Amino acid sequence: MNIPIERGKVVTVARGQSTSVAGFSLSKGLGVVFRHWRRAWFEKQHQNVPATASESAPNAGNDKSKPTAFVTLEDMSKSYGTFTVEYPEQRIKLPEAYRNMPVLLYDDETGHELCTSCFQCQRICPPQVIHMTQAKDPASGKPVPSVAEFIIEYDACMSCGFCAEVCPFDAIKMDHEFELSTHDHPSLTVYKRDLNRPVSYYESIAPGFWAEARERAYKKLATNMKRRPGAIGIAPHLTEKITAAQAQAAQAAAAQAPAAKAPAKKAAAPRAADTAAAPTDKEAKLAAIRARNAAQKGGSAPAAGTAADAPLPTDKEAKLAAIRARNAAKKGGSTPAAETSAEESPPTDDKAARLAAIRARNAAKKGDATPSEESDQPAAETPPANDKAARLAAIRARNAAQKATEAAEQAADSATSTPEAPASSSEEGKPLDEKAARLAEIRARNAARKKGDQE
Amino acid sequence: MPLITPDDLRKQLGADLPGAVASVHPVVEGLPAFLETGDLLIEADFLPRVAVYVRDVLGYTYLSDIVAVDYLDYQLFELVYRFYHLEGGRDLVIKVRVPRDNPSVPSLTPFWPGADLNEREAFDLFGITFTGHPYLKRIYMWDELDGHPMRKDFPKQGDKYLGDES
Amino acid sequence: MKAEGTMIKTEELQINIGPQHPSTHGVFRMLVTVDGETIVDLKPVFGYLHRNHEQIAEVNTYLQNMPYTDRLDYFNSMANNQAYAMAVEKLAEIEVPERAEYIRVIMVELTRILNHASALGFLINDMGAWQTPLAFGMREREKILDLFESTSGARLMCNYFRFGGVVRDLPPDFVPRLQSLLTGLPTFIDEFERMLRENEILRIRSEGIGVLPKEVAISYSVTGPVLRGSGIPYDIRKAEPYSIYDRFDFDVPIGTVGDVYDRFLVRIEEMRQSKRILEQALKQLPDAEGGHINPKARQNIRPPVGDAYTRIESPKGELGFYLVSDGGQTPYRYKVRAPSFINLTPLSDMCRGYKVADVVVILGSIDIVMGEVDR
Repeated sequence: MNIPIERGKVVTVARGQSTSVAGFSLSKGLGVVFRHWRRAWFEKQHQNVPATASESAPNAGNDKSKPTAFVTLEDMSKSYGTFTVEYPEQRIKLPEAYRNMPVLLYDDETGHELCTSCFQCQRICPPQVIHMTQAKDPASGKPVPSVAEFIIEYDACMSCGFCAEVCPFDAIKMDHEFELSTHDHPSLTVYKRDLNRPVSYYESIAPGFWAEARERAYKKLATNMKRRPGAIGIAPHLTEKITAAQAQAAQAAAAQAPAAKAPAKKAAAPRAADTAAAPTDKEAKLAAIRARNAAQKGGSAPAAGTAADAPLPTDKEAKLAAIRARNAAKKGGSTPAAETSAEESPPTDDKAARLAAIRARNAAKKGDATPSEESDQPAAETPPANDKAARLAAIRARNAAQKATEAAEQAADSATSTPEAPASSSEEGKPLDEKAARLAEIRARNAARKKGDQE
Repeated sequence: MPLITPDDLRKQLGADLPGAVASVHPVVEGLPAFLETGDLLIEADFLPRVAVYVRDVLGYTYLSDIVAVDYLDYQLFELVYRFYHLEGGRDLVIKVRVPRDNPSVPSLTPFWPGADLNEREAFDLFGITFTGHPYLKRIYMWDELDGHPMRKDFPKQGDKYLGDES
Repeated sequence: MKAEGTMIKTEELQINIGPQHPSTHGVFRMLVTVDGETIVDLKPVFGYLHRNHEQIAEVNTYLQNMPYTDRLDYFNSMANNQAYAMAVEKLAEIEVPERAEYIRVIMVELTRILNHASALGFLINDMGAWQTPLAFGMREREKILDLFESTSGARLMCNYFRFGGVVRDLPPDFVPRLQSLLTGLPTFIDEFERMLRENEILRIRSEGIGVLPKEVAISYSVTGPVLRGSGIPYDIRKAEPYSIYDRFDFDVPIGTVGDVYDRFLVRIEEMRQSKRILEQALKQLPDAEGGHINPKARQNIRPPVGDAYTRIESPKGELGFYLVSDGGQTPYRYKVRAPSFINLTPLSDMCRGYKVADVVVILGSIDIVMGEVDR
């Protein structure tokens, strides 16, 4: 049969002849085996076995105790003999690309899981062993980019790696864990709490892959975290810890509030703890603000230590306004103390004046309205309160004006501290300051009149 | 190196073996694209003669594959025979279409022993009978199975055979 | 056949070899009718590993089928992957960049080496050599499997190929390791041959056994080393070159008699030719253009309506995939032309007249894997 072959030829294998001496070829073959044996025994071994078992196994995230020595084969052309790797005390180091069974990743610091329940892995899975449900916002019922429950049937998983390939958020990755045999078959249907692994674990087993994916994964996680209300999306075993840590951070921020009001710290602490009932960022901030306010008030109010979070707005607000006014005055004169930014730190004079004016107005308004009691008509409260609020507003306006003049003086004198400058001291007042002061006065007068009208 | 094209073959067959070449299945109006084919379509009865012609006259001695395809919507089975020439080159494909109820095709096994297992598989999984096959028995499924699993109307869930009758 | 001139009445006995048998290369049953020790007839029975792969493939999308193709011929998963990827690429007309083609060729030729090393090892094992040649072959196989593991992530079920290329590029230590492997490979092949080729036991047990004559070989539709052992130099890489095989120089070894010994020698020689291809591929790899995958190729494809058949020279023979697409995401018909399945056709004819012990050797020389036979 003439079959043309290009770039090669047809080679007929040589069958050779049987040898005349029976057994000769057998011994030739045995010679090959003998040569290998001799080399393996006597010649240098080209295999690395670490001396100590101190090179630790990378799968630190697992509970099972791991023996730790690694064996690698350096030069494949020079290995004589076959060496037994004494498993399980010694192991062969698995390459980074090795894939066996998927796991879900969550960020170490924030505790947020990277998975957003986009269902891509569920769609691509050839044996369809991935099942998940999307998390919903408990308040509005709308879906949130987070996963509520995630199930993988490990006993049917092919370890093909498609889920890890298609995940747009780098949330599901292939683990290296192959010692999964168990007597407990139902435990091979693995739920999210057992699928979660920290990013540090994945980084330790697959550093190259994670280095590639890290940037985009974290960028997407940051976007998703913003859309996750409350504790949704935090790995479940970390929720308490993370929210407590958040509350603590808030409390630390609050405790940096005017440390001059020292005894208020104790009042602040239980208050912060109380108000951190619903652990969210927003609530924590609110708690911080309240704590700071309590700290402020703590100097003046004796009974503020209890968890009275619904105070009578009048007393408290009035007091608050008074305190603020006093602070504003003080700050107009002295150099800015080490106060947190939430305080009215007056960068400009007119701004402080404006702020004081606004606060006066708010105090007046709040002095009227009580949220829990009657209707919203501003005539609700007790008369003394209104009067008081009006008086307060007036005081504040005057103080604001005072402060404005003082600040102007201060600016003129290039920041020397002049406490208690008389209100009537004239200066090359900027028209703005005077205007602001006048505005404040007008507003205060209007507020008072309004109260008077509605009574 | 294409040795012969389907069109040339069609012409040659028209000359040498009249009646062998079939038109596309007449029943179907508005044929879907995959029923239109550039490959040669043969009447079922003429199949052994055409195959032997292809082998002896044209030299395509290597029968590679026999595939059965079920076109449920058009009520026909299509059998694809694929021949290769030993000097190399492209395949030569011959297709046969039979109606879906009682499909029956003459077997190529007496001429090509290599067609044996493929035809048994088509019989087992699709239910196409090959007349003249020396040992037409089921090959994958057990003998008492009722039905032909690869047909498109065989239930994919296998309700009939799993667990209780429910 | 009854012995001439005996007065003893003998009966033909029908015995079962398999399906659970250490030497049947999987769950494979042979109903053997023997007269004494001589075989009168043999009927293979398979289907014990039938997993309905073809129907599963009709339910999965084209991409989801890729890991299932790994499990067809579970020894040579890269070859299965290539055949399927090529079939889909032909159907959907996706181009493959040059570097990806080189990577594919490297993987498939490595697969060929490891298949022949272990297939011959198993063949000799079946003859009674207590795993010494098998261990030799397995050692080389393990080195190659380590390479596969560092590249694709798994030793056997590689799932490495995608439509338009491969899933990720070679790791940086792949080429040096492969170079060091290739320097050690001729030593291995030569030693393997030296150990076995003129071995008296091997020769007695394989010369003249399981003869498949040249004239009838092709009518049995056998391919691969079985066909070439019978003397027909039909190698798909030369006959209908696919991928970039037309750029390499390599020979096609053929046998003369068509017995087990010829197939054994053909496989050893093919390992040498694979090594030649690998060396050339490694030399040409740095100049290859493109990346490891066609960036425009989508993996969740909807190929146009039509059908396509592609075949490759897998280590066991001609592996082909026939795909019919109706324009949807899943194939309409998906058929695997499995070489082991078709190569079993002449088994009964090859075994007739030989002893029971020869059946196992003949079966080993055909080199079947039940994942393919049963699908």
